[in-house]
Amino acid sequence: MTTKNEDLGSSPQTTSDPDNTATTIMSSKTSAQRVPPPEKPEATRARFKVIAAFWAVIILLGLPIWWKTTSIYRAHLPFQEMVDWADGKSCRPVFPLEIQIAAPSMPDPEAQLLLRTTQHTLDDLNEFSAHHLRLKLTEDGDNTGYIKEETHEKADTALTVRLVPQDNLPTPRSELSPETTQLDVFYSPNQSPVPSSSNSPLSTFIAGELQRLFSEEKATIAHILSNGHTQLSENISRRLRRSLKYADTYHLAFSLFTPGPAPSSWAVQEAIEDYLSPLLQAFAPISNFTVDTQVQLYATFSPTAPLPEFVESQSAWTLKQEDLSAFVNAAEWPLSPSIGSGPTINFLLYVPDPSQSPMVVKENTATSWIIPQWGGVFLLNPPLPTENPSNPPHLSKDSLRPAFMTFSHQLLTLLGTPTTPTSLPFRLQTLIRIRAATLLLSASSTMGSLARLTESLPSIPIPATVAASVSTTLSHLSATCTHLREGRFSAALDNARVAETEAERSFFEKSMVGQVYFPDEHKVAVYLPLLGPIGVPLVVGLLKEVKRIVKGLKGR
Amino acid sequence: MTALFLLPLLLLMALSTLTSAAPDSDYHEGLVLQPLPQSSLLASFNFRSNTSQVSFEQRHFRYFPRALGQILQHANTKELHLRFTTGRWDAESWGSRPWNGSKEGNTGVELWAWIDAPDDDGAFAKWITLTQSLSGLFCASMNFIDSTRTTRPIASFEPAGDHSSSQLHLLHGTLPGEVVCTENLTPFLKLLPCKGKAGVSSLFDGHKLFDASWQSMAIDVRPVCPESGECLVQIEQTVDMVLDIDRSKRPRDNPIPRPVPAEQLVCDTSKPYNADDTCYPLEKTAEKGWSLQEIFGRTISGVCPLTEDENPGKETVCLRVPHERGVIISPGASETRNPDGLSRCFNLEPSSPFDLIIPEQEALTHVPLDEPALSAERTIVGHGQERGGMRIIFDNPSSSSTVDFIYFETLPWFLRPYVHTLHVTIIGRDGIRRSVPVSQIVKETFYRPAIDRERGTQLELALSVPAASTVTLTYDFEKAVLRYTEYPPDANRGFNVAPAVIKLLGLRDQAQSYEYYSPVYIRTTSLLLPLPTPDFSMPYNVIILTSTVIALAFGSIFNLLVRRFVAADEAAALTAQTFKGKIVGKVVALRDRIKGKGSKVE
Repeated sequence: MTTKNEDLGSSPQTTSDPDNTATTIMSSKTSAQRVPPPEKPEATRARFKVIAAFWAVIILLGLPIWWKTTSIYRAHLPFQEMVDWADGKSCRPVFPLEIQIAAPSMPDPEAQLLLRTTQHTLDDLNEFSAHHLRLKLTEDGDNTGYIKEETHEKADTALTVRLVPQDNLPTPRSELSPETTQLDVFYSPNQSPVPSSSNSPLSTFIAGELQRLFSEEKATIAHILSNGHTQLSENISRRLRRSLKYADTYHLAFSLFTPGPAPSSWAVQEAIEDYLSPLLQAFAPISNFTVDTQVQLYATFSPTAPLPEFVESQSAWTLKQEDLSAFVNAAEWPLSPSIGSGPTINFLLYVPDPSQSPMVVKENTATSWIIPQWGGVFLLNPPLPTENPSNPPHLSKDSLRPAFMTFSHQLLTLLGTPTTPTSLPFRLQTLIRIRAATLLLSASSTMGSLARLTESLPSIPIPATVAASVSTTLSHLSATCTHLREGRFSAALDNARVAETEAERSFFEKSMVGQVYFPDEHKVAVYLPLLGPIGVPLVVGLLKEVKRIVKGLKGR
Repeated sequence: MTALFLLPLLLLMALSTLTSAAPDSDYHEGLVLQPLPQSSLLASFNFRSNTSQVSFEQRHFRYFPRALGQILQHANTKELHLRFTTGRWDAESWGSRPWNGSKEGNTGVELWAWIDAPDDDGAFAKWITLTQSLSGLFCASMNFIDSTRTTRPIASFEPAGDHSSSQLHLLHGTLPGEVVCTENLTPFLKLLPCKGKAGVSSLFDGHKLFDASWQSMAIDVRPVCPESGECLVQIEQTVDMVLDIDRSKRPRDNPIPRPVPAEQLVCDTSKPYNADDTCYPLEKTAEKGWSLQEIFGRTISGVCPLTEDENPGKETVCLRVPHERGVIISPGASETRNPDGLSRCFNLEPSSPFDLIIPEQEALTHVPLDEPALSAERTIVGHGQERGGMRIIFDNPSSSSTVDFIYFETLPWFLRPYVHTLHVTIIGRDGIRRSVPVSQIVKETFYRPAIDRERGTQLELALSVPAASTVTLTYDFEKAVLRYTEYPPDANRGFNVAPAVIKLLGLRDQAQSYEYYSPVYIRTTSLLLPLPTPDFSMPYNVIILTSTVIALAFGSIFNLLVRRFVAADEAAALTAQTFKGKIVGKVVALRDRIKGKGSKVE
């Protein structure tokens, strides 16, 4: 729009003396130029109004529409509460274990005294305060010595100690019944505490026994609660490494593998009913199980796996211990996980070819091993006929007995059951407490991770379902904590299960991650062609106007 | 007619089905080889195993594959039919189809199943579970069978098993574009109890199988309740393939076909030659020689010893050639000739490999091939991006009998047929084309129109083609325009339209020799539908173009509103005061000074 008459005017003027002539010519020229009349105030006002109107439309209409159409829905999450749970500030899990003492043959004051002294000794022995034992006299302990069934089955009683007087015992003796959670303590009446002394052999003995029974559980829980910072005995840490993550439902898959055509059938149904079902029923309050079985013939080793070697001294085909990890031919053997939620635990019964029988592990001639967090393997070497050796076509229930006994032990280990003491119900109760603690911590830490994730990624949406899941998790977590404090461990486990499921659901919500992969270049490509050409005149107009106003203010 | 071809096979099947009532779990396998014209060979593999319904429900799997059993239980599927097919059955030279076409599927993947569910929505949810799980098991894209590819046929399929539930829903889905290959064969083999390591399944080699002119893999699971005894769940796996003998015999490291060497050429001596180096080669009259080793690249390694028979290798391999044809078999195996004079079976030695060598021999008699009862051809006609037409030609070669059949097709939703344009013409043997009313040929119609992006069109017609005539069925359709994101990466290739399935009725009367009635199926080839495809950089072009237009309009209006207008000669005074004007002034002054210096030197 501007004409370049200045250039045209000045160029022919450059002659001999540039300095003098140029200045004179310039001055004469400016005086010759016509200056436009000063702008009318109405025009300035109109321009101001136009620019203000444009910016008003942009700010009042454009920005809200843009904001509304491009913003992502982020439901409100209780971040502070979630972080508190993850940091352990909301709940300090405690495990008050109630132990009933039934002393039917002991007079009440004496029993009370025994209780006090034993409790005292126990408290002295205990160095881990979150897990403590609380002794209590059975209410109906003074009648007949028969313990009522309901008392016995009450969930919050961890152990019942029954005192049985017996003559001619130099020291007290204890016996843990393998089918129940009952500890029988035999003592001779002269060992019972007397009011004068603060200690008695019987109370010391009971305290020591209790301490011993709960030592593994205590160590495990201490390890879990400290996030693995405490030192553990080799035994417990190995068990924890092997065990699977807790799940509502486990799928058990029993497979018979053999490299040849025989045996092609096994009495697996009867074997499971007889050898495994009782164990699975005992586990019912903790987890559910589905069982399926298969027969896989012509199952060869993987081509890269080391082959078994024949050892003369053992007269057996041997597998080296370090090669056991390559035993399962994962590429070819159909060991696909079961459908449905929950992990699959595989149990493999391998019947070697007659030409490679018997097969054992080289170092210790064992025939079974555990694959941590996956399952177990058992090598079954059936007796072969001497002439024309071949595997039997059918494996009877009796020949499967050692295998299924091994499998049930492996199952206990894989589920994280403690190895001591011998009583199975006692170990299962311990497992309930361990699982409740694990789930409580894992759900809490998931909450913390979710809070950190959503805070660090402001571009991801948070659907309402996630907020609902989070609030369910938090309420169940606090319920778990309360139940633990009051010693109701089964209820605590139930709540912790719900909390864990909901926490996982909220963390793995699919619709949250979609936006993360939307690249910024894409946005630039969409916005720039429009905002560039429109934005520049608008911004320049605004700046000019601001400058003019500032100048006007200064001038006044 | 059709019965003749597979009579022995079907008899064998029927017999074994009847006798298999007693054991709760058994296994049977078989292979039928039949040379076809044009140096082709049909190899028909069949594997069948049973398990009792009780142990199936308790999840104790023996010969029934656990992976598949779990899927079926999880998806409440009572009967399943799964097909993987490639190539085209050349009915003109090879005659009617093996198993009456009941063991083959559409090109690509075809799946239909009866699902036990209380209502339609429940059945569909289970169907989605089923397709997703099968997709994982068979490494096929069956998870793409969504609601637009799923239909519920009314008359085209009937359950093959004995069902007790009354809440069964039939769902059918096809993937015509799926390429069937080795990764589908490996899981298929894993389902077999002998895993391709023993028995006839040891012949399977992905290279040979998928090099065939036509091949079809089928899996059928159905419940069977014999009149006496408990119910069974039966799985039948079938592989049929037509191999080109010449092609298969070429070594794998040197697969290029070579001309016959000059000294082996047989010349027509009745023709006059003007030089020694010319030759009119004669067509070979002898039938090709071949062996299992040459065709499949390996031999049968023994017998899968799981059958309950006393002699496990009995009649597993059958060959359909005339009795005078010489056949050399491995030592230890024995031969049984069937009384019909056209086929023989072999008893295999349990643990030694078996090979079959057929030397080249002058053919005197041939195994007669049945003519198919109906031939069908389906093509897309018309031109342009917007409209097209479908033309289906049915030819009834019989001179006496009418053929009644159900024609079933599923069309994708973006192909919108106009059913009112359905038009029938009929050509008799006299070659005169006549238009006839639709109702004369089409006895019944079931039509379920498509809903955009939700379901496809389902068209089932009950047709009747009179003797010795050719019926042409045509209708017009419109092509929809898809959304930008709905186009696949290879949009310009075209969109697959699933083949039509034809189920022939009324064969019961002709086939008295076997008891149970099995329908005959024919499938047409799949079609490619070209759709108008956009330029895929379109969105960005649109954004940039509209932005430019808006910016131009906005810029000029905005400038008109906010600029101050002065006369042209007044502009210089204004520009001199602005920042830009000052810079221009400085530049001019600088240039003048430089020029001035230059003139001084001069």
